Amino acid sequence: MEKLVLALPVLPLLSALLMVVLGPTRGRGVVRISTGAGVATLLLAGVLLWLKLGGAPSSTQEIGRWGSLLFDPLGLLMAFVIALISLLVRVYSVRYMADESGYVRFFVVLDLMVAALLVMVTAGDLLVLLVAWHLIGVLLYLLLSHDLRSTSAHRYGLRTFITYRFGDLPLVLAALLLHRAYGTWSLPEIFRLVQERPDIETVGGLPLVEVVAALVALAAFARSAQFLLHTWLPYTMEGPTPVSALMHAGIVNAGGFLINRFAPLFVHTDQVLHGVFLVGLVTALAGSALMLTRSDVKKSLGYSTMGQMGFMTMECGVGAFSLAIFHLIAHGLFKGTLFLNSGSGIGEARRHDGVPKDDMYTFVIEKQPQTKRYPWLVIAVTTTLVPLAVLGLAHAAIASEVFTQQGAVVLLFFGWVTGARLVVSSYRMHVQNTWRLGIVIVTSFTLVVIGYTAISHSFALFLYPDGMVTQLYDAAHLGLQTLMVLLVVVAIVGLAGWASAHYVTRGAASERNAVSRWRVSFYAALSREFYVADAYALLTRGLLSASARVNTWLRWG
Amino acid sequence: MSTQSLILVGLFWPLFPLSLVFNRVHALLGHAVPRAVLIVIWPQLGLLAISRADGPPPDWLVWWAVLSAVLYSFRILTVRDVYTWVGFLATAQWSLLWLLPDAAWSEPYGDPSTWGSVLAVAAPLALLVLLAGALDRRFGAAYTHVYGGLGVVMPRLSVLLTLGVLAAVATPVFPTFFVLLRELLSAPSVAVVAAVLTAALVWSWAGFRLLQGLVVGSPDPDAAVTDVPRVVAGAALVALVGLLVAGIYLSGEIA
Repeated sequence: MEKLVLALPVLPLLSALLMVVLGPTRGRGVVRISTGAGVATLLLAGVLLWLKLGGAPSSTQEIGRWGSLLFDPLGLLMAFVIALISLLVRVYSVRYMADESGYVRFFVVLDLMVAALLVMVTAGDLLVLLVAWHLIGVLLYLLLSHDLRSTSAHRYGLRTFITYRFGDLPLVLAALLLHRAYGTWSLPEIFRLVQERPDIETVGGLPLVEVVAALVALAAFARSAQFLLHTWLPYTMEGPTPVSALMHAGIVNAGGFLINRFAPLFVHTDQVLHGVFLVGLVTALAGSALMLTRSDVKKSLGYSTMGQMGFMTMECGVGAFSLAIFHLIAHGLFKGTLFLNSGSGIGEARRHDGVPKDDMYTFVIEKQPQTKRYPWLVIAVTTTLVPLAVLGLAHAAIASEVFTQQGAVVLLFFGWVTGARLVVSSYRMHVQNTWRLGIVIVTSFTLVVIGYTAISHSFALFLYPDGMVTQLYDAAHLGLQTLMVLLVVVAIVGLAGWASAHYVTRGAASERNAVSRWRVSFYAALSREFYVADAYALLTRGLLSASARVNTWLRWG
Repeated sequence: MSTQSLILVGLFWPLFPLSLVFNRVHALLGHAVPRAVLIVIWPQLGLLAISRADGPPPDWLVWWAVLSAVLYSFRILTVRDVYTWVGFLATAQWSLLWLLPDAAWSEPYGDPSTWGSVLAVAAPLALLVLLAGALDRRFGAAYTHVYGGLGVVMPRLSVLLTLGVLAAVATPVFPTFFVLLRELLSAPSVAVVAAVLTAALVWSWAGFRLLQGLVVGSPDPDAAVTDVPRVVAGAALVALVGLLVAGIYLSGEIA
């Protein structure tokens, strides 16, 4: 039965081929083949995942001498998610894309993309992984640039493609270094050899494992829109909505998958995961800040994804690899739903002019201050202690070992801050019965935390049954001094936030002084998206101009 | 390797400034078919020259080859004439043949994968030149960023151009990708690998820029052009499928 994993990418590939062959004679109806293949792929992925959950051993399935696919928990889980989301996207596209030219072409490329994604997540050797990784960038360009008349869609598609190609390079380099060191392309074999000989050195006497892990992380950063490699993500909304859904729900998560795939390598690193954490943290902060300052809803959604990707990377950086997988699946389903529902939302807004002014609207949009104020001490104690108690009790009941893992505690801290913010928000809402609202919110928060803790604990057991979870946390362990510095920085940022809020509330922001000038400069930097895209545009123009000049000098050949 | 052999091989596996010869000859041939034939034959002549050469090339020559490849890769970014574009890309890719493993130098015809690799790099470029010929016949010149919008009015040629460019710029599963990987496996240092990968990145960038100037946009409403006939498109498609098969074969050789 395990051999059926080879059929996973074959189904969408076959569907694409059939549509190419039958399309000219059968017309648009051939897209039913695509949805049919989607159903079959989902069923197959479900059966394989069920087998794995039932305890079938992990194995490598060879494709002759051309590579191999893995029958393992990570690959099968991701394959199931991809099959599910891609089926939804196909069904949605049948009507959504009906008026577009190149209707069949869209489904052909979509099926090829699904095949490439399935190969990527189940790849059993570096060659197959490289081929799939590279093809995804090409196919994404073709999907984003589906409208052949839209020059802007192609321009932004090219930006995405170049970033992806940039991300391909470190992965190729990592593959070559591993092949040179261990003489094989097979991933399980490489991981076994790394386990036996983790101290091999490479270029310049550097530890091979650290160098390769850093290269893998860099490839993941480009794919998952981490800061400085993020500029493509918010601009890809020119593509069809189903592509946005697939991209934000699945493709952009590939970075988190890649880091997880190389987990057996990361457990032997000392420094790389700290860098991953830092990049994730900066991306999460930058993405969230940019999201809040966008007036364009689509770009705002793009930056929201960037922030989420930053958080996912941060989870990897603290050693919570399985949690990152859970996060990327949850975010994928959530963001995919948002995109697929966006058409209905716009249609509804067009049918019913004007936005209903209910409590939620007033709370979210108008941000009116609460008229009735409770003593600050009561609010401070409630907002800090309630989420702390919920988080602490839920984890103590389900997975008490997390308290011994530094990375898990760091993430719990983020959960605590989020919970506190939720309680503060509920205080600011206008409702008849404040107590009832409070109880509803705390109960919901408790259920979410328990669900999240239970599922992430199950993910850890399923994905890393061999106890690698603890090793990963250990590899990401920060020294006490560094941790203290980080805590001080977090405390300073928190205090600065409060001071800033106080400053704005008392109306001092309108005064012309050094602080207000700094705030204006910061806002300008945010509105220009930290000038990153501008810098790339300048670099691109410079390179093209230099190329043209060289061609003029060497005009004879 | 003697200087005479080096110059001879450097002419056919072009090293700058010897590369000027190939590009000059390529430019002088007006028609697409002789250009395609030249592209197939030229690197094979390099292999023939190696079989007569006395010993492998010196180590320092690898950098000369890589820098030649980087130079021509950089140049294709702003070339608008599709013929010249293919000529420069060929120059860049053939320069990298100097990185092929030592076995290729001692017995160039001993291993079919060596001359197969050389042919596999040339074949997509030859196909692309033939497709440029189709543009030339319809518009009087094969230029990118001049007419545009072909995706709407000439869908068959557009699909072929897209696949042809993808094959030429070393996209997997086309054979150039695996030849490139083979060259990288025998690269003497990580710096060489990084330089070659950067060149490959530029090929992709230039390739998609080329396509954007041909396939994308609104077509000229006054331009009365016809798409390539089905038979011709079918033949080109068969050639592309052949390239795919060759790529899959070469991937097995590396694995």
